[in-house]
Amino acid sequence: MAFAPMGPEASFFEVLDQHRASLLAALRRGGGEPAGRGTRLASSSEVLGSIESVIQGIITSVARNEAPAFTIDNRSSWENIKFEDSVGLQMASHCTTRKIKSDSLKSVKKFALILKILSMIYKLVQSNTYATKRDIYYTDSQLFGNQTVVDNIINDISCMLKMPRISLHILSTSKGLIAGNLRYLEEDGTRVHCTCGSTAVAVPSNIQGIRNLITDAKFLLIVEKDATFQRLLDDSFCNRMSPCIMVTGKGVPDLNTRLLVKKLWDTFHIPVFALVDADPHGIEIMCIYKYGSLAMSFEAHNLTVPAIRWLGLLPSDIKRLNIPRDTLIPLTKQDQMKLESVLKRPYVTCQPFWRKEMEIMADSKLKAEIQALTFLSSDYLSRVYLPNKLKFGGWI
Amino acid sequence: MEGSAVAVCEILKYLIIHWKCETAGTSKGALLEGQLVISMEALNSKHQENTLHCVTTIASAGSIYGGLVLKKFLKEIQSLLPGFSAKLNWTSEEASYSQDISGVTPFQMIFEVDEKPRTLMTDSLVIKNFLHKIVMVHPKIKFNFSVKVNGVLSVEVFGTKNEPTLNLSNGIALVISCRHYVSKPKFATAELLCSRIHPVLGHPVMLFIPDDMVGMGLLGELTLTPAAALCPCPEVFPNQLNRISSVSIFLYGPSGLPLILPGQEQPTTTVFKDTSYFIDWKKYHLCMVPSLDLNLDRDLLLPDVSYQVESSVGDQSQNMDSQGQTLLLFLFVDFHSRFPVQQTELWRVHTLLTTHLSAILMESHSAVQDSIQVAMDQALEQHHQATKDLQKFQASLSVAVNSIMSIVTGSTSNSFRKICLQALQAVDTQEFGTKLHKSFHDITRHRSLPYCSCETKQQLLPEENAEENTEDVQENSLELLAGTSGQVENKRLQQGLEETRAFLSARGPSQSEAAACRTKPTAASLTPSGSRASPGGDLEDSLWQREVSNLSEWLNPGPEP
Repeated sequence: MAFAPMGPEASFFEVLDQHRASLLAALRRGGGEPAGRGTRLASSSEVLGSIESVIQGIITSVARNEAPAFTIDNRSSWENIKFEDSVGLQMASHCTTRKIKSDSLKSVKKFALILKILSMIYKLVQSNTYATKRDIYYTDSQLFGNQTVVDNIINDISCMLKMPRISLHILSTSKGLIAGNLRYLEEDGTRVHCTCGSTAVAVPSNIQGIRNLITDAKFLLIVEKDATFQRLLDDSFCNRMSPCIMVTGKGVPDLNTRLLVKKLWDTFHIPVFALVDADPHGIEIMCIYKYGSLAMSFEAHNLTVPAIRWLGLLPSDIKRLNIPRDTLIPLTKQDQMKLESVLKRPYVTCQPFWRKEMEIMADSKLKAEIQALTFLSSDYLSRVYLPNKLKFGGWI
Repeated sequence: MEGSAVAVCEILKYLIIHWKCETAGTSKGALLEGQLVISMEALNSKHQENTLHCVTTIASAGSIYGGLVLKKFLKEIQSLLPGFSAKLNWTSEEASYSQDISGVTPFQMIFEVDEKPRTLMTDSLVIKNFLHKIVMVHPKIKFNFSVKVNGVLSVEVFGTKNEPTLNLSNGIALVISCRHYVSKPKFATAELLCSRIHPVLGHPVMLFIPDDMVGMGLLGELTLTPAAALCPCPEVFPNQLNRISSVSIFLYGPSGLPLILPGQEQPTTTVFKDTSYFIDWKKYHLCMVPSLDLNLDRDLLLPDVSYQVESSVGDQSQNMDSQGQTLLLFLFVDFHSRFPVQQTELWRVHTLLTTHLSAILMESHSAVQDSIQVAMDQALEQHHQATKDLQKFQASLSVAVNSIMSIVTGSTSNSFRKICLQALQAVDTQEFGTKLHKSFHDITRHRSLPYCSCETKQQLLPEENAEENTEDVQENSLELLAGTSGQVENKRLQQGLEETRAFLSARGPSQSEAAACRTKPTAASLTPSGSRASPGGDLEDSLWQREVSNLSEWLNPGPEP
């Protein structure tokens, strides 16, 4: 075995093993997941050629005395999204587009910024160097205005060229953390050994580049909040439940954290569980990991893990565990609107148990953070709640 | 002694006021419509040296003047012109007349004076400017004005019927074609992308009458409505930063009559000598000084008051080639009464305003200042916004061009570079960059700006839109005539004069015939000033002129703007 056994007995993981077996069976029934679906990695010459083709189109328009424009898919429109149970949210094949014109006051700046970032990507690929989105923003922060502008344009370019961001030599800054039974080699040869101790490792920036992943983990636990993640680290959860892996995206996950979760699933097909607050925001974060987001739907195949199960905190747990009412928080107006929005999403229809839990929350008009469990006992989460859930299959 | 000019102007004012009062009962608020013919025929006086004997005729058409009581009219006009030495005669209906194409009816009024040639010249310019000012707010009134001096005839037609207008509330409409207000820019190849001004109306304010004038017995109130606009529209120079170089103020009284006679000593406008009395120019970082340009002989509408921006030494080094924009300010004074306004009362109001305007405006200084300032703020806001938008556009295009250049020059793909260069017919990347930059600017010059709604009707009444709309296209296509084909227009005028001379010389000079306008106004009267009578048949010419004006640019491509 790769790691010294520190966790519970083998029998503890029976239900988990059965779950894993059913997941693998489902995969086999579905024909497996062919590698490289969706936006595939492109070679440097392909990227350069693609950009040159765009420039050529612009110059041709100019030569014809026509104002050039970019035609970009409406990534953020639900009209352009279709749901597939095995993939999650993805862009429809025929989606609506919008034009970014060069002769319109409203869009001329965006037109120019797209060209600016294209030229920067071109240079990065030519020189085989990488930059983060933040680096790009800081090359001319006054021109770009704010980071969101840069982020959106990079996503638009990725969607327009149908190439993942990594192929464009743009890295996203990772904010996630990993802990547990996992080893791998980064692209530059650095050995990374995630520990089960009280420290965690940062999610690497180049997920596509990591190799030689090794783990004995029985499950992967996605933790919504950093506070909960740290709490579990402090309680030596990874040791107690060894072998396992824990990941947090510290809220809404960044691209690299999602890529890592996807990579771990694709590589090991171990059960993946989400531990989120019993509130609409937590549920939405879990849905991002499982089914993807509207904004990144064009890269759904590389990012989603439909096999994720909701471990906790379930709204039904609140009543079952008699969590004190004064630890619960009333849903705000924004919470209610978000809950209604999530309930309307296409993936909820194929998750009746999730729907039921959300309806419990909607009826009670109350939400709870995971930290509410500390009112039962300070280490209730790591000593009682999670072990019981994992042992007896308390996920949906 | 009052000259012909004053007489003609006062008579016209009287007629228009009478006309206005006559129509007030039947179609209040409707634009006055009709045609007047004014002719001045002068021959060397047989009795005095270096003096011309001038016969001035004012004639009109239409039954609207049927309500004019002749004796009363003559008496009142004579009383308005106490210093006028000539006697006013009214030609009766039985008097001879000729049916010419101007459709002049038997109604004629004639007076004769002896004048020095220089005075006659000045008078004709004063009358021209006065007529021009009237048609700028009465687009359905047309004037045929001819001056014949010792057989040499000059004819001009003043009319703005087919031009875009802005309807005001008191039965007048302001013509908003910018060519009346500012000459065509120096850039001969610049297309006028927007040929209109976009006036911003201020809120009307009531004017208080000073105590010493209250006893005039007016049964109503005076209001002032300002309108401000930049000319030309910022869209005219889409690739150039504009600065404001001058201010022109136009004063109109009730019935849309000019309050000032051009070229005269103007006590009425003393209040405007202080450029900051009504307008806080510091707010716009401008320093204004009164303009001393007294030239009457100009084709543009002559302002009643004009200011110039006082430029600093630093400014002189910049934008030397730029003409700058003119800020136009129109002040419309109107008279409102609950009772039907009588002609005499309206005349008294006019007299009061022409003699005591400064005092009246000073009496209501605060309200007038507020109203004017608001209108100016909005008009200049457009200018500021246009400047900001232009800067944004230029900056963005510069980024776009540089980014494309970066890729093209950095590419190692021979075929890609070749295709790019060939597309713009460039021999090297430097030329490619220059052409790319120019092409982008040329292409994006025709963008639409949100505040320049020249496609839409400028506050026109719906029933008037159909005709105006279809003619706007013609009008816009002809706007190049104003500048690039000025020489052609002058030539056409000259041809018209020669035709008319030939015609008249065949008949022989005759004073009695002078009043009958035998010239062909549509052929001979296309001057760059107020005559926009019928653009229709000249569309082909204008398109040819446009092509020719571009030819010089193709043959001699200059440096980029």
